[in-house]
Amino acid sequence: MLAYLHSFQSEWIKRRHSAATWLTVLGAALVPLIVLCYRFYYFELLAAQNASADIWEQLYNRSWQYMGFLLLPMGVILITSLITQMETRSNAWKLLHITPQRLTTIFFAKLTVILVMLLSFFLLFNIGIYLTGVLPALLVKEVPFPTEPFPWLKYLYGNGTFLMACLPIVALQYLMGLQYRNFIAPLGVGLGLYIVSFIAFKWEYAYFIPYIYSILAFIDGMHQTVRPVNIYLLSAGYFVGFSALAYILYIHKKEKG
Amino acid sequence: MFQGFCRENSRYHTTGLFRVPGRPIFEFHHQHAFMKYCVEVSGLAYQFGKGDPVLRDIQLQVPQGAIYGFLGPNGAGKTTTLRLITGLLRMQAGSVQVLGQSFPRHRLDILRQVGCLIESPAIYEHLSATENLLVLQRIYQCPRSYIADALQTVGLAAVAGKKAGQFSLGMKQRLALAMALLHRPKLLILDEPTNGLDPNGIIEMRELLKKINREQGISILISSHLLPEIERLATHIGIISKGRMVFEGSLEQLSGLRQQVQGCLLDTTDNTAALQLLSTYEICVVTDTGRIQLPALPVAAIAELNTHLVQRGIGVYGIQPVKNDLETIFMDLVNA
Repeated sequence: MLAYLHSFQSEWIKRRHSAATWLTVLGAALVPLIVLCYRFYYFELLAAQNASADIWEQLYNRSWQYMGFLLLPMGVILITSLITQMETRSNAWKLLHITPQRLTTIFFAKLTVILVMLLSFFLLFNIGIYLTGVLPALLVKEVPFPTEPFPWLKYLYGNGTFLMACLPIVALQYLMGLQYRNFIAPLGVGLGLYIVSFIAFKWEYAYFIPYIYSILAFIDGMHQTVRPVNIYLLSAGYFVGFSALAYILYIHKKEKG
Repeated sequence: MFQGFCRENSRYHTTGLFRVPGRPIFEFHHQHAFMKYCVEVSGLAYQFGKGDPVLRDIQLQVPQGAIYGFLGPNGAGKTTTLRLITGLLRMQAGSVQVLGQSFPRHRLDILRQVGCLIESPAIYEHLSATENLLVLQRIYQCPRSYIADALQTVGLAAVAGKKAGQFSLGMKQRLALAMALLHRPKLLILDEPTNGLDPNGIIEMRELLKKINREQGISILISSHLLPEIERLATHIGIISKGRMVFEGSLEQLSGLRQQVQGCLLDTTDNTAALQLLSTYEICVVTDTGRIQLPALPVAAIAELNTHLVQRGIGVYGIQPVKNDLETIFMDLVNA
């Protein structure tokens, strides 16, 4: 356990100043920034919106509309690939594999970094949504602070579903990142699968496509949809399956760098 | 083929029984003055896929405290051998003992005491020199002060906060060496660390390695295809060619081969007459340098030949023995 913590600390240092870190911060800030600009563009509606009883629901739906449908899957593909490919780009797999660490420790430490980055992304995104509601009140005297209390539980539940929805993407991108020795291949396959999901989301069996769940999570959040299976269970199943496959392939790799 | 030194077991210890007439049976223990090895490889063989074997029966012993130059032309199998020793490739045949322990069984224990630099420097260019070392410090859990010490040792203390991506190749090599040295290993395994360096960088790296070996007592296993480089640095040499070890011994032993006389160069006042005389003795000579090159002959025969030449009125103003240069020895070994 201690070795795993040390390994995680080491992996966490590697993400400093990296493109993955910038992507996490900027990606999380982008949609709230757009929503904020949009709100200021319709300046005359600001006061009424902040005074309305469902201001947080409005902001949540508006923000997740862009995020869940488009940016989240792409962001997850990019962040996972960037973190995993860090060793390849730095020619550092051999360095990592001659450190006194078990391969299992390395595998799970890297996966944990990706998941923690994903959690940071969600956290920053929610802070962003909160600021889109509060900032107009702070900056404009006539705009009141939202009277409705912040619906923590609804937000937490909503975020949880989106987080579950992206786990298959994390696992499959991680698998490909560990297998391919270049950045473009996992990225290309990931984006390809996402485009397929985007095209096929109205298909009756679309819920079997591993990259589709964040789209479905958004649709299900907006409308009551009855599906023959629980997509979150399916998503968790894909995550466990892909992760197990990634682990087996990684452990049995003949060349370690 | 030249013979290297006789391999000794690292712990050569014999026990035997002998009978002294009129006395009871005595037991004697005889312990040779033995040499300790920090790397012992035997019977190592490897092949990629179903292709030809790239390594065949590699035997290699690195004495403790030595700088062991692992020499061979490109594609001879140096990197594959080092990758097998460090566990980057899965072993197919043979055994590897590092610091007295079997590598496959005690991988983590061994790696805690070994520093490696395999091929091109592996560094995170988006991190500073200090951060690169911090990545490893967390794994080795060595004191944080070792980071500054390692950077000081390789002469990068002044640029500790600079991003590694802005470093020159020489600086990157030194940073990679600092990363290998961080946890104060007992053994350094370096694969062609001078590749791509300019002459000044090569000299700096060489002096640095000598200093580390001298001051910190770290054994070094270094591979290279550059004979002069290894000659200036190593105390022991192993030569690999086409996947086989063709020599292993100390630098003195290799230099001993150098002292073997290859022949003599003869300078006379009349080469044509001298050649005529030599042909009557059926001595094969070479004259392509304008001088007469004789094969290796006994000293008495050379003296007699000189007497005959002078008696025939041919002035001899030079008899110069031709010795093997290291390059010739190396080429003979790798082409054998």
